[in-house]
Amino acid sequence: MKSIIEVRQVYKKYRIGRILPYYTLRDKLAEFYRKPVNLFKKKKMNSDGLLADEFWALRDVSFEVYPGEAIGIIGRNGMGKSTLLKVLSRITPPTKGEVRLRGRVASLLEIGTGFQQELTGRENIFLNGAILGMKQKEIRNKFSEIVDFAEIEKFLDTPVKHYSSGMYTRLAFSIAAHLDPEILMVDEVLAVGDASFQKKCLGKMENTTWEGRTVIFVSHNMTAVKQLCAKCLLLENGKIIAFGQTAKIIHLYSRMTNDKKA
Amino acid sequence: MKEIIIRPKPKWQLVDLEEIWRYRELFFVFTWRDIKIRYRQTILGVVYVIFQPVVNMVIFTVFFGNLAKIPSGNLPYALFVLIGLVYWNFFSGALSRASDSMVSNESMIRKVYFPKIILPLSEIVTFLFDFVINFILLIIFAAVLGYYPNLWILIILPLSVILTSCTIAGVSLFLSSLNVKYRDVRNVLPFLIQIILFLTPVIYPLSIVSDRNKHIMALNPMTSVVETMRLAFQSNPVFNPILILISVFSALFFLYLGLWYFQKTERYFADIV
Repeated sequence: MKSIIEVRQVYKKYRIGRILPYYTLRDKLAEFYRKPVNLFKKKKMNSDGLLADEFWALRDVSFEVYPGEAIGIIGRNGMGKSTLLKVLSRITPPTKGEVRLRGRVASLLEIGTGFQQELTGRENIFLNGAILGMKQKEIRNKFSEIVDFAEIEKFLDTPVKHYSSGMYTRLAFSIAAHLDPEILMVDEVLAVGDASFQKKCLGKMENTTWEGRTVIFVSHNMTAVKQLCAKCLLLENGKIIAFGQTAKIIHLYSRMTNDKKA
Repeated sequence: MKEIIIRPKPKWQLVDLEEIWRYRELFFVFTWRDIKIRYRQTILGVVYVIFQPVVNMVIFTVFFGNLAKIPSGNLPYALFVLIGLVYWNFFSGALSRASDSMVSNESMIRKVYFPKIILPLSEIVTFLFDFVINFILLIIFAAVLGYYPNLWILIILPLSVILTSCTIAGVSLFLSSLNVKYRDVRNVLPFLIQIILFLTPVIYPLSIVSDRNKHIMALNPMTSVVETMRLAFQSNPVFNPILILISVFSALFFLYLGLWYFQKTERYFADIV
């Protein structure tokens, strides 16, 4: 069987210490005025092919996913989980390597992306659905399902700025849950809503895998990972250090974190 | 299903029209969102759209037409300046919104994949919607004053809209990607737009400019757009093909430059925005 996701030797380089997410031309000019030579000096690279303030967020990541599989990606904070997901969902390009996706992709790095405060719940369903890649016709067909699942019938025509945070997340998740992709990539979005709604979401996602869909799931919630994913991938410092059956990997991971604490 | 290949550098392509077509619904939804939000927050709604050029027209007519006695050819100054303002509002409004579109939609850029070029382009379409309303107002106003467009308008109108849109697209694609990296663009832009207003014959006729300077001014495509549209309201229009040609090439150059710079930088927007 041909794999549906193929990741080959992916590297991603980032810079450390960019606290300011953007530059200003003014700063650049000021720097040039102070040290005009700097601009032409060749910057030193270390053996890893990195400048002093750069690091590899992903290092030689390779793996394959077959249709219908659900893969959990686990690891401590800052170990490259989200970066991997961003590369897979085409938000940021890899520095080296290649990824092949053979199916319709939907990625959920955040629920409610692009929600507009001024627009009503109804309008936001169409807006957010489109942003996530749904066709308008598809949204119209699933509209009542989405509304039922989110339990917001009464507030459909209220601008979402007046929603409670619970209603807001319920609506956002509900739209996401009704996506119909072949590959679904999810990042930690279940850490929202009350316990009963979380349960409902997990149930919905399980159904998604049962229908033969491929899922990539990034989470710190081991219970959710166990429930959803048959296989798991453990990242440490941007490298895959283990890939295999969920129970085993989670065991390894908990041992690792316990060692760190001890 | 087509295979998607993600690589550090994609195959070079100035603009991926096929992908834009695939995302046409999102394009439509963005446009519709902007129109809705703009009209929702204003009590006056559509009236607000015509408010701006009308008020400007009155002010300009009083100060530049009546007091400074700026000539306006054989059109009344009010009509003369309104023709310019209708295009100018389209140009300046769309340019400033489109140039800011990457930054104002940064949360989306960092969380989902879509061809980013549709953000500035949909802003232009949004302002095109306003332009249509304003243009209807212009025709009505001209008719009230007893001026009717000649048949040339059937050619001038679509061409002028295309030329304006290409220019806005080119400049705003360039500025919006520059804005991602250097936020100074945001502060400089209003100033820049004001300068272009004076470099465009909106409040004065091109005829008061020397012949050589006319050709330089035609590098700003809006010069030909405004001047030519005025001819559509005259009984014996005399066109200046050289000026129009300069403007067309200049607009195409801006468009190329914008597309080139945008496609060169867009892949890294999510990392720096």
